[in-house]
Amino acid sequence: MTPKARPWLTLLGIAVAFGLLPLVMPGGTLDLYPFAGARFPLHDGFIDLATTTLIFALFALGFNLLFGHTGELSFGHAMFFSLGAYGTALFTKGFDCYVGPMHVAFGGASNAFGALAVALGIVTLWAWFVARLIVPRSSGIYYSMITMAFAQVIYSITFHWGDLTGGEDGIQGIDRPHLPGLPADWLQDATHVFIFTAVIVFVAVALNYWILHSKFGSVLHAIRENKQRAGFLGYDVNKYRVNAFVLSALFPGIAGWLWVYFQQSINPDAGSIDYSGRAVMMSLLGGIGTFVGPMIGAFVYWDLQNRVSGLTKYWPATIGAVFAFFVIVAPGGIAGIAGDLRRYGFATAVRRVFSREARFRSDLADELPVQKSGT
Amino acid sequence: MLHQITDQIFNGITLGMLYILVALGLNIILGLMGVINYSHGAFFMLGAYVAYSLAPHVGFFPSILLAAIGIGLLGMAFEALLVRRLYGRLPEYTLLLTFGTALVFEQIVRYVWGDDAVRYPDLPGWLSGSITIGAYAFPVYKDVFLVGMTIAILAVVWFLINRTNMGVIIRAGTRDAEMVQILGINMPLMFTAVFGLGSFLAGLAGALAAPVYAIIPSLASQWVILTFVVVIVGGIGSFWGAVVGGLIIGVLSSLMELVYPPAVELTGFLIMGLILLVRPRGIFGVEGLFE
Repeated sequence: MTPKARPWLTLLGIAVAFGLLPLVMPGGTLDLYPFAGARFPLHDGFIDLATTTLIFALFALGFNLLFGHTGELSFGHAMFFSLGAYGTALFTKGFDCYVGPMHVAFGGASNAFGALAVALGIVTLWAWFVARLIVPRSSGIYYSMITMAFAQVIYSITFHWGDLTGGEDGIQGIDRPHLPGLPADWLQDATHVFIFTAVIVFVAVALNYWILHSKFGSVLHAIRENKQRAGFLGYDVNKYRVNAFVLSALFPGIAGWLWVYFQQSINPDAGSIDYSGRAVMMSLLGGIGTFVGPMIGAFVYWDLQNRVSGLTKYWPATIGAVFAFFVIVAPGGIAGIAGDLRRYGFATAVRRVFSREARFRSDLADELPVQKSGT
Repeated sequence: MLHQITDQIFNGITLGMLYILVALGLNIILGLMGVINYSHGAFFMLGAYVAYSLAPHVGFFPSILLAAIGIGLLGMAFEALLVRRLYGRLPEYTLLLTFGTALVFEQIVRYVWGDDAVRYPDLPGWLSGSITIGAYAFPVYKDVFLVGMTIAILAVVWFLINRTNMGVIIRAGTRDAEMVQILGINMPLMFTAVFGLGSFLAGLAGALAAPVYAIIPSLASQWVILTFVVVIVGGIGSFWGAVVGGLIIGVLSSLMELVYPPAVELTGFLIMGLILLVRPRGIFGVEGLFE
């Protein structure tokens, strides 16, 4: 069983970590490695890196609701990131295009939460459509392959529908919104963008925590451990799987919304397999079996990326190799290793990480989706 | 108009042949071992690059053969060193591992051959012309050599799977690997051999595609997703599924070029959506495999 949930302590810890983030990113004041040189006051670049990390932490957290907690590997969650981002960009910037013979135009508006509503509306519709189509018809690796293909549909549409989406170049020069009760140019500053992002991501994280620790979350865990038994207990497994898919799509959608305001531009790459893969890698590196794992993974990913890309332009190879190493040797990720350390002490934990047997034993199953039994 | 349609159908058949080879390789590995190899696209791309590098030195035909064999050996090493460690765990982990290694392969290609497209040297004289039948001119390489080679290879693979001892073992292993192992067959060796065969087919398709398509590092991720779609449409683990799925998607997406060019890439996904609605296991799929 998982340890007793202590929501306030967990959320307080996360809030503190968010606040410290710009300081511990590479080159920040509290950075332990001497690569970039510590300095104060913080350069905007460090703050931007922290903002990026937070947005991707939210993206990975949403993805992990499905992989880590329902036991289904979606390899296409970037489509929701992309849809959220394009929804926001088009809402803000307006559009003017033809759908067949029909002329559609919209002037654009700078209401941040209106954009959020539109973005999440689009994300929900598409997620619901995809889930209703694939959930009753597939599971396992079949499911992963099909989600990958559906993500490619969104990528292809954003790439080729140039009138609406700007094609390969995407949409640039998107204005940041005016937030109610704050000066009009408040969001023009890197620090303020970070604060805005941190607040939104924190609220979304709390929501995610609440979902996972509700009765609904427990049913998802039951489905992850054994679909058949969850069905026997009277739960409509497919209904829960569809709902989990849609819910897990909302968080990448919110991340896409934040990403557009942060970057002020968007292009089709946001929906590419690269971005889907990033969410997967972050979740696994951090630890798919735990709540905070994907956020730790997002930090590790961007930290590593930033350090290695300073040394070589072939940095994705390093990340790919580190990821492959974790898949083989420590599929529980960093949080998994930390959990083992706490439970078994150092010597046993190290042995567990490197022992072939431990990885097959299903007592890891209390935190990981391991072999489905009874099918 | 008729002329254009014929042209596109033949283009589609060429494309379909390559899809068949790549998808069959993926399908054999997936069907026997339950390993979903995302790096398969990288093997295809490596096949193209290796053939491109070898062609000026060893000649056209040997370069194709050597590239395919080289990629086959690479696949065997890949299985023995990395993939093997994941047997007994959820099949999803093989997808994760091979996704990570695909990143590494792509960067290796960028390091060795650069980020830009490379141009394949000219084909030998007997392959570069075209045959004229009536009003139509068929390029010898695309419409005759490539198609002929693919059919020959398919025949060999079909024979290997259906008419040899090794094939019997592979097919039995698809149903129940443990039982076959108990009968005294060296299954780990068999797995390595099958992974080698699948990778060989990917490398061969890459080498055959090299003179026709642009050779760029993003080839890997473009092709692997389409290969997944072909496998889903045809049915996981099925020989004829890969053949029919590859041809359908190749020909229909080429014809889409005439109907609505921006939607060419979407054709495969639309077909996949339809197949999911009417026959979720794929055209030749077996129910209950990898559920």
